Amino acid sequence: MAGFEGFEKRLELNFSGDDPAAVAEGQDLGLRRLSFESLEKVLRAVQCTVVSAVANHYFDAYVLSESSLFVYPTKIIIKTCGTTQLLKSIRPLLSYAAEMGLILCGCRYTRGSFIFPNSQPYPHTSFRDEVNYLESKLPNTLIYRKATVMDSTDSDHHQWHVFTASDGTHFMSDEFYTVEVCMTELDPVLAGKFFRRLNCKYSGDIDGKEMTEITGIGDIIPNAIICDYGFDPCGYSMNGVDVDRYSTIHVTPEEGFSYASFEMVGPGFDGLGEVLKKVAKVFRPGTLSVATTSAGREVWTRVKSALEPTGLKCRSVAADEFPAVGSVVFQTFTTRRN
Amino acid sequence: MAAEEGQVISCHTVEEWTAVLEKGNESKKLVVVDFTATWCGPCRFIAPILADMAKKMPDVIFVKIDVDELKSVAEDWAVEAMPTFVFIKEGNIVDRVVGAKKEELQMAVTKHSAPATVTATA
Repeated sequence: MAGFEGFEKRLELNFSGDDPAAVAEGQDLGLRRLSFESLEKVLRAVQCTVVSAVANHYFDAYVLSESSLFVYPTKIIIKTCGTTQLLKSIRPLLSYAAEMGLILCGCRYTRGSFIFPNSQPYPHTSFRDEVNYLESKLPNTLIYRKATVMDSTDSDHHQWHVFTASDGTHFMSDEFYTVEVCMTELDPVLAGKFFRRLNCKYSGDIDGKEMTEITGIGDIIPNAIICDYGFDPCGYSMNGVDVDRYSTIHVTPEEGFSYASFEMVGPGFDGLGEVLKKVAKVFRPGTLSVATTSAGREVWTRVKSALEPTGLKCRSVAADEFPAVGSVVFQTFTTRRN
Repeated sequence: MAAEEGQVISCHTVEEWTAVLEKGNESKKLVVVDFTATWCGPCRFIAPILADMAKKMPDVIFVKIDVDELKSVAEDWAVEAMPTFVFIKEGNIVDRVVGAKKEELQMAVTKHSAPATVTATA
């Protein structure tokens, strides 16, 4: 019998404004002008809903029933878990964007290896199905396309799946990078903190707040404004917003298929190593994988030096280049006893 | 600015804002301020929930302030993210909720709208 699938699918869409004259006030907001009803329609196609949210001058951050959504003026990032059909968000999103005069100029889709691959609905039945579906939904102007499965040599043979498409006009900023961490075999005692307390009369965001405090997640990026949520009977999600950087954590704590993810997107900063160390300490996973995406190449070297002192040993490193996106480096770690 | 009870009052000028604060102080009612922005998606998410709360709790004064319209007020109150809800009772800030968080917001409103004579229990 299958359990809940913690491993997420992540979709990032980049847009450019088509009318230079419309760099007027209203147009600068781009996708942030999307009405909540329109956003809800997109999320309904993916079978999830908003549970909590916060915004600042840079972007809107939503915690969903099955993960997270981030809306920037010309970029949207959706990350969903379980059996959601994430790719079905593409058509409504492109349609709403077109109404606003925004054209798709880049797309990036990533995911790890599902724990329960046979439970996934179409088009997530295989990477080939996902790529075929993506190819059919993306405009022909996105001529630079690449699909790769990055392998590992660890005992569980974790893989990282990447699909990118670009029209060659939009290039990832040298400054910004994306770090996607997937953890399995969480320490059972630590994972136990993500179960709702019995007799607890509180719910949702209040429970989430407590989980954030007692697990130390609140200390990972102390300045971040946090939106957190505790699910019934267990499970946890949070978005942390720190000026132009976001972090997001999702936890499936049940033993047998325990999973936690940590993702951070923003300009480079010196504290990345410390952040990863803290993340490893919160969950003490048996296995951990990190995929870094950046225009430059130095991000990934800090990952290994940050994690090995925590008892995790690097088992494999794989790297690849993607047009207009930059380098993706995929590293896997397991505890020394594994 | 005369508004029906049970609605969220929009303040567009500093004068309107000061008047509402004074009304809150005099009546000893709880004032809940929603700092919002036209470009803030999460504010649109919570707006109907707030309106519903206002309807159900006419003894609480609900106010809406646009951070671009009243920049000085938003700065004075150190608003960095939206929506930010500030709770004011008899001239003092008694609580703050940052983000569109339904349960936390409801709990804070319930907690601070209780009459002063009732001692709070855990």
